[in-house]
Amino acid sequence: MNIQAYIESGIIESYVLGMADEHERAELERLSQQHPEIRAAVEAFELSLEQNAMANAMSPAPRVKSDLLAQLENEFKPIEQTKLVTMPVSNTGWLRYMAAASVILLVVSAATNVYFYNQFREASNQYQALLVEKTSLLAQNEALQTKGLDLYNGMQIMSDPAYTKVSMPGIKAEENKLATVFWDKKKNEVYLLANRLPQTSTDTQYQLWAIVDGKPVDAGMIDGCNGLCKMKNISNASAFAITLEKRGGSPTPNLQQLQVIGNVAG
Amino acid sequence: MEVAKKYSESELVHLLQQRSEQVFSYLYDNYSGALLSIIYNIVKDEELANDVLQEVFVKIWRQVESYDSSKGRLFTWMLNIARNASIDTIRSKSYQNSQKNRELSENVYSSAGVSQLHVDQIGLRKLVHKLKEEYRVLIDLSYFQGFTQDEISKMMDIPLGTVKTRLRTALIQLRGIIQP
Repeated sequence: MNIQAYIESGIIESYVLGMADEHERAELERLSQQHPEIRAAVEAFELSLEQNAMANAMSPAPRVKSDLLAQLENEFKPIEQTKLVTMPVSNTGWLRYMAAASVILLVVSAATNVYFYNQFREASNQYQALLVEKTSLLAQNEALQTKGLDLYNGMQIMSDPAYTKVSMPGIKAEENKLATVFWDKKKNEVYLLANRLPQTSTDTQYQLWAIVDGKPVDAGMIDGCNGLCKMKNISNASAFAITLEKRGGSPTPNLQQLQVIGNVAG
Repeated sequence: MEVAKKYSESELVHLLQQRSEQVFSYLYDNYSGALLSIIYNIVKDEELANDVLQEVFVKIWRQVESYDSSKGRLFTWMLNIARNASIDTIRSKSYQNSQKNRELSENVYSSAGVSQLHVDQIGLRKLVHKLKEEYRVLIDLSYFQGFTQDEISKMMDIPLGTVKTRLRTALIQLRGIIQP
């Protein structure tokens, strides 16, 4: 509907002056809740009507007021009235207490918040630390399990009669070094135990050689394994030896760097 | 003691509902003159208007609980009580009789129109008086005498639709006069 047209229709004046019928009153009250401009128009007309009436006030006969006060004498409540007249003061006092109480509550609440926040921070940090510790323990556990399994497997191989043990002591001037090969002649599987081989520099690496028909055959690089290291399969070896080679290994052994060597028994 | 104190409408209503004599006295001092003017516009007799004013303030005092500020200003509410009480008065038998007597006496003393003229110089009637005759009559019948549009249509022998339209136009013009 066109609100402006409705406002201009005279219905506002009719309503304020008490001339609108039941239906019109209900409609205007409903519409003025939905449209603030209708409410504003009602108020504006009410105000101008009031100002006009005030400006055109007559003087009532003095008897009217005295008669009224006498007539209503028993309906006034003087005690409560006094109390209520002073209400603004007591109201302020009450408000002041409320305000004070609010401030105290706010401070207490803020302090509690800080306290709980700190507690939360502490608990949160402890939780994080525990989480890290748990992860690291899990990793350690896993490593130990792997190591344990490797050692167990190594023990199985070392005690297996199918494997021939080839002990490789250090050559002259390298006597402190020792390594052992476990070799299954039938399956050709070769395992190495580095009993005493010092850590190499980062650009060098130990390489295992098998001597087959008098010639050295690459049997694999030795690289940081727990216990027994699985090497390349070798058949018909008469001896095993380890040289120190450049990292990644060499096709032929650098005999200048021979570390340990041992002949296959039998 | 606190004669000079000014109350807002909501304070007034609240304290009236608390039955405060002081606030009732304040309400009377502030609004009785404006209400008397509208009562006088309707009953056209100063003595009678003062009687109605007293009756109106008793009604305001006893009905203030039913005032709903969401539906309009306190003054508008009081104004409507004053108008309704005044219309009830002019419709009463005693008023009808006194009017007949007055007409007789006015005819006898050739003072007809004096009172009427005076009434038209007061309050809302003064404004309505500025309207064109056809509008003035409608507002007089509907607002000051309280006839329904249906009654007016029959009384003046004009269609209801025309009464409605003319009355609305009259009210719009009246607003134009009231609003500065």
